[in-house]
Amino acid sequence: MAIPYNRKTSAINEKTNKVLGVNLDDARISKSYLSVAFIALLLGGLLGLLQGLNRAGVLELPVWLNYYQVLTAHGLLLVVVMSAFLTIGYFYAGLSHTLGGLLPKVRKIAWTGFWMKIFGFVLVVIPILMNEASVMYTFYPPMAAHPLFYFGLVFIVLGVWALSIGAFINVAHWRKNHKGQHLPILAFFATGVFVLLVGATAFVAVEVLFMIIPWTLGWVDTINVMVARTLFWAFGHTAVNIWYLTAVSAWYVIIPKVIGGFRWNDYLTRVVVIALVIMNITGGFHHQIIDPGISLPIKFMHVFMSLAIGFPSLMTAYAMFRVFERTGRRKGGKGALGWFKKLPWGDVRFLAPFIAMAAFIPAGAGGIVQSTNQLDQVVHNTMWVVGHFHLTLGMTVVMTFFGISYWLVPHLSQRVLTPAMNKLGVVQTVIWTIGMIIMSFSMHTAGLFGSPRRTSFTTYGDFSATLGWDPYMAAVGIGATLLLIAVILQVYAVFNMMFFAPKGETEFPIAEVEPGETPTPYMTERWGVWVVVMLVVIAMAYVLPLTDMIVNAPPGSPPFKTW
Amino acid sequence: MTQFIYGLLLYIFLMLPPVADLVESIMITHMHMQMPLLVISGMLMGGILKSRFPRFFEKWNSNGIPGITLFMIIVIYWTIPRTMDEALTLQSVEIWKFISLPFLAGIPLRDSWKKLSEAGKNIIIIIFTIKYFGMGALYIWTPDQLCNNYLLIDQLTLGWGFVTTAICLVIYLVYTYTVDPSEYE
Ligand code: HEM
Ligand SMILES: [Cu+2]
Repeated sequence: MAIPYNRKTSAINEKTNKVLGVNLDDARISKSYLSVAFIALLLGGLLGLLQGLNRAGVLELPVWLNYYQVLTAHGLLLVVVMSAFLTIGYFYAGLSHTLGGLLPKVRKIAWTGFWMKIFGFVLVVIPILMNEASVMYTFYPPMAAHPLFYFGLVFIVLGVWALSIGAFINVAHWRKNHKGQHLPILAFFATGVFVLLVGATAFVAVEVLFMIIPWTLGWVDTINVMVARTLFWAFGHTAVNIWYLTAVSAWYVIIPKVIGGFRWNDYLTRVVVIALVIMNITGGFHHQIIDPGISLPIKFMHVFMSLAIGFPSLMTAYAMFRVFERTGRRKGGKGALGWFKKLPWGDVRFLAPFIAMAAFIPAGAGGIVQSTNQLDQVVHNTMWVVGHFHLTLGMTVVMTFFGISYWLVPHLSQRVLTPAMNKLGVVQTVIWTIGMIIMSFSMHTAGLFGSPRRTSFTTYGDFSATLGWDPYMAAVGIGATLLLIAVILQVYAVFNMMFFAPKGETEFPIAEVEPGETPTPYMTERWGVWVVVMLVVIAMAYVLPLTDMIVNAPPGSPPFKTW
Repeated sequence: MTQFIYGLLLYIFLMLPPVADLVESIMITHMHMQMPLLVISGMLMGGILKSRFPRFFEKWNSNGIPGITLFMIIVIYWTIPRTMDEALTLQSVEIWKFISLPFLAGIPLRDSWKKLSEAGKNIIIIIFTIKYFGMGALYIWTPDQLCNNYLLIDQLTLGWGFVTTAICLVIYLVYTYTVDPSEYE
């Protein structure tokens, strides 16, 4: 059944939001999340610089803050704290804006979740600082950290669940009051993201609660390492895909408005979201291509699943360039590529996410390399992989978030983006781009030559073959330095826009669909059905390997402190 | 027409010897991947038949019950351990599998599902839920090897596959029972 399109409702919402402006209570929530995120970026970036300089061979870290402590904190700060807080801050702002404000009850839930996450994070940080938890952000058993570390993780997960429940309540409430209408597109993305967050964290919760905590407390003697790794990657893989999906939401919904165009086909956009939600979690197995104990046919089928996730990504690439082309042509761009020049290159709200998208081309290609068993044999656990995820996360995701910050922060703070700040943003974008290209290119190359990841500086006794890596590792140090400059500019920009920029109204840019588009079938809104389909896919993918790992398990491993 | 082509491509893909060998080499993918995909290929191909021969379907399957009964018979038949074993040993049974699942289960399912009432649909799902729990229990608890071609561990895995699928069906039933779509749609 098709429902006449929701342009009318978004018009009404827009009107109410224009009259009332941003809801200040809701804005405070989002601003808190964004503040934590950018502080995490600053700290994480600083640690990243320490790592980069260490690996370049110019900085020896002191015993009270060794390389692996730094690396654990860097990974957690950026991939768990910063990304999650940005995603939540952004989507809660989106829910407030498109659903006509958060419910008071949801606001309370959001604050509870916020403090649970912060509390959890404090518990995690203490043992890291004491050098009792240098297990990296993947905390693979049999390496065992101080139990406090894992209790902290539990609170972080509980916080995520609180926020997801809050989002679901608000969405359900809106739908009850807007029978038969499609959820506004940004709220639709938010729903998908929170569904995935619950799904992903469920796996890590099982790993931590039922396997690791009893084991580090000494209630059980051994742990099944393969099962733990499998549960971890169901989470870890999905988490980074959630950050990616968040960035994608801005590409579909926000960027077209920023460049003055319409967004891509509503129906297909929603199909992309649903496909990414259903197929995502099972992709976790591609992080275990080199793991023993998973039979070849299973690995083969999972490669198939991973590449299937590539399909919606290709649709996204197509969609974006179509939107750009249409908009450029409407603005008078002529010829095959004339439209390209008509895009607002001087606008940081466009420039940063555009470079982010462009970075996904090599990043996605690298991902396909890593999904291929034979090629992964060469690059697995080398610096190549680190180069890869600094492209995907460090460029594609993070630069989109940076682009978002230049309108979202002023919008929430009732301030404006000044031309000077825009210029600073452009400079920041350029520095970050150059730094990341240098760093990730040299990481990829050093990795191809065999330089392992997660290894503090060493010349391997001046062994000749490994000395060839050093020039590339020096380049990593140079890239890292540029990146930290960009981090400082970005964090300065965010807090300046939050507290000091001139007062004024900044719009929350949400693009409309093209006039005359065929209405979207109502089917897309049946989230209950999509969740069940997702669960069936997960069941099918996990039952086989997990049964095998549990039934044919080795004796298991006691905890080790390897550092 | 495009649906028909996708269905046909899927059907041919499943028939390719390496694909068939791979999925049939593991018990759970044989039953929970190859067989449902065969049904789906039939559903995709069925649309064109429905539009070509509307009278036939109207005459024989006006309320959906004959079609869904045929579907149930075929599907239940293929969850019997013995039939899977035979498909691996006898070429003729393998061919029968590739014909019966798409054409005698997929097509009737497509034609019947929309014709059933809400209650009818839920009854079918409940039947499958019970059956899946039962099959799960059977495969998990029997100490004997039920198929000549598959090991005990394969059997156990399939058992858990049935149980997890049944749990998903229960979640779906709870969802349809507790969430009233008329509040939202
Ligand atoms: C200032 C910018 C950054 C610099 C200089 C930097 C540098 C580095 C370096 C040198 C490593 C260590 C490689 C190794 O020894 O294995 C690393 C690891 C890592 N980085 Fe970054 N990075 C930056 C930003 C980011 C961002 C924005 C993210 C994600 C959003 C990120 C996520 C990670 C992760 C997940 C690891 C892996 C940690 C591990 O292996 O346990 N980094 N980074
Ligand atoms: Cu992954």
